[in-house]
Amino acid sequence: MSESKNSSNDLIFWQTNRRKILKAAIIAGALSQFSFLEACASGIIDEENNLHFTAEQNKILKNVMEILFPDDGNGPGINALNSFKYMLWVMDDEGAYQKNKDKVKTGVEWLEKYTSENYQKKFTELEKQDQEKTIAEIIQEETGEDFCSVLLTYILESLLLDPVYGINPEETGWKWLSHTPGYPQANEELRYENILTIVRASYSVNS
Amino acid sequence: MKADVCVIGSGAGAGPVIYELAKAGYHVIVLEKGPWFKTEHFTKDDMVATRRAIYTPAFKDEYHVLETESSDGTWTAVPTHESRKEFWNGNVVGGSSNFMSAYFHRMKPNDFKSLSVFGNIENANIADWPIDYSELEPYYTKVEETVGVSGIVTPHKFLEPRSTENYPFPPLVTNKISDWFSEAGKNLGFGIVPAARGIISVPKGDRKACYLSNYCGSFGCSSDGKGSSRAALINEALKTNHVTILPDSKVYHLETNDQNKIIKAHYYDLEGNKKSVEANLFVVAAQAVETARLLLMSKNPSCPQGLSNNSGNVGKNLLFSAIATGSGYIEFADFDKDKVAEINNPMTFVNRTLQDFYEFEKDGKKIKGGTIDFLLEHSNPMPKASRNKFDGERLVYGSELKTRLLNYFTTKKKIRFECFTDWIPNDNCYVTLDADHKDKWGDPVAKIRLGYHTANKIPGEKLAEISKQVFEEVGAKEISGAVSTSPAQNLQAGGCRFGNDPKTSVLDRNCKSHEVPNLYITDGSFMPTGGSVPYTFTIYANSFRVAEKIIDHLKQFS
Repeated sequence: MSESKNSSNDLIFWQTNRRKILKAAIIAGALSQFSFLEACASGIIDEENNLHFTAEQNKILKNVMEILFPDDGNGPGINALNSFKYMLWVMDDEGAYQKNKDKVKTGVEWLEKYTSENYQKKFTELEKQDQEKTIAEIIQEETGEDFCSVLLTYILESLLLDPVYGINPEETGWKWLSHTPGYPQANEELRYENILTIVRASYSVNS
Repeated sequence: MKADVCVIGSGAGAGPVIYELAKAGYHVIVLEKGPWFKTEHFTKDDMVATRRAIYTPAFKDEYHVLETESSDGTWTAVPTHESRKEFWNGNVVGGSSNFMSAYFHRMKPNDFKSLSVFGNIENANIADWPIDYSELEPYYTKVEETVGVSGIVTPHKFLEPRSTENYPFPPLVTNKISDWFSEAGKNLGFGIVPAARGIISVPKGDRKACYLSNYCGSFGCSSDGKGSSRAALINEALKTNHVTILPDSKVYHLETNDQNKIIKAHYYDLEGNKKSVEANLFVVAAQAVETARLLLMSKNPSCPQGLSNNSGNVGKNLLFSAIATGSGYIEFADFDKDKVAEINNPMTFVNRTLQDFYEFEKDGKKIKGGTIDFLLEHSNPMPKASRNKFDGERLVYGSELKTRLLNYFTTKKKIRFECFTDWIPNDNCYVTLDADHKDKWGDPVAKIRLGYHTANKIPGEKLAEISKQVFEEVGAKEISGAVSTSPAQNLQAGGCRFGNDPKTSVLDRNCKSHEVPNLYITDGSFMPTGGSVPYTFTIYANSFRVAEKIIDHLKQFS
């Protein structure tokens, strides 16, 4: 059997099973959870009024993330990847590593203080050049490096994980890096927040 | 609930027993700690599989305490929820076999008699197996047919004797770079040959062939091409209607009577309720660390040190396949366009292996060497991106990072080697129960001392050196590689070794407990040594072998 014919058959197999999964999800009432997972893509997560950061910290984080992964003409920047919104989603995610989330919170507070002490200004009031100089300075210290490193991890996730999470829109990150995803790709029903509910609902359907 | 046999765990050590017993008409209840993912639940979602690691328990719920040796000889114990060192494998129906890469190499005849052939090493507990290769050979063949092994048998210096001419499934489609490795082998005088995989290349029953999904190791298979215990054996066993799978059922105690026979397996269900299963025979196959932990937790009046542990051997001589790994880069600029096009595509399998140095001589002494597998870097992109975040110790960001990413992903291909040598069992590699740390149910977690015998470095360094020569011949740049002294959790065995002497082993030659008359252990725990290959193929084969002994035993009850 040729490779393409195999793939075609497997797609049919996969789609058939997705219908089964959906049926299981309806039985389990799990579909109600999909509103959360759609939040990133649909704008339900409020960028300005989130529970984790002040309005000023939101601005600082956006500025820092833009420096860490700029829109410089070489591939997408953080705005094209929904990186900031994704970072907020991670902060809400109980399954994400808490110590890393704490590093972001600690880091942004520390950066506010650092800028105030060294420049007598808010970070967001600095010229772009001074903001970049500040980032170069703070990564020399553990707190600053941890802060930027964790933000970079979230940015790379927004570049390279599946668009189903509201990031990497239209596979822009994958296209930029000529990356071929695995098949079948992630999908709404089987997103990480829901998958165990869906799996457990299937026991009574399939077993 | 009562069954003929209660099986604890459902991975590679459990699958053959479940399959054979069900087919023989016995009622089997399977208690599996993890959830029951079906084939249709597996996607190539990096968030599920690796970033949030849904197939393994959350650190806050269940973890290990790992004890490692510092350079000054002191031991430090750190819980994995602090170190973030993952020590679980797949905790789902079918166990970690769902997520294996499935390199299926048989052990060689001399692997079964390491002590006799190679001699003991100071501060090591090397032992011969109580069975030899010829006794296991028919079951390797059975695995090749039943679980499904693809490849092509190619003669080489250490090819093991076979009762069949070839693997039952033809080789998988590979990346063209496989030919580069074969050619390099010819040039260097090494027998680089096709590697067998526990993945089917043509359909088998309800299972579809491998469809080259691009993401294999660490991910579940959406065609059932990968020979997981779930896809290849449990699904078949379920058709008999003799099998009851109880997922989300964590066994915490095996209760014995005054004859030291197990009468009940006690477990927690998903809601944390305490329940139990009765059976005539009990089979434990929870993977080496957890099997030892369960036995140690199962203290009864007849066995106050833990089940089958009056000899004090449970948890001792834990094994991890000894590994040396390395990598290099094929820089596209070094090759013409056509040559680059051959390899710069999503075909991920290389399936080339070198076993010419399975044994070698050093200073006039015969040394046990091992297996080298050549492979491409896994396709999922996050590990690739993450390693570009740092240049040495320096955090890279901004346009510099973006340029590095683009170069990494588009101008070169990373090739890798993995060398498997025989882990040397020693007194500093064992499992106990931690006195302070508890899991979410309040039970002691496994404390694992990870003592590495320095003699493991000798074959590891030799194989790494050979691998680097091959990489140079292939034309790779930035070649590096070294022995890893940090055990890989996905290659664990031992802890309940089998043997003829009840004073020095937990299990008899049939993997039945020396002390508990209705207990069998069929995961990798039985191995006194593990051979210079990954363990899964041998675990499958031995489980098929023991399944026949269990059926003989069950006939006593009818």
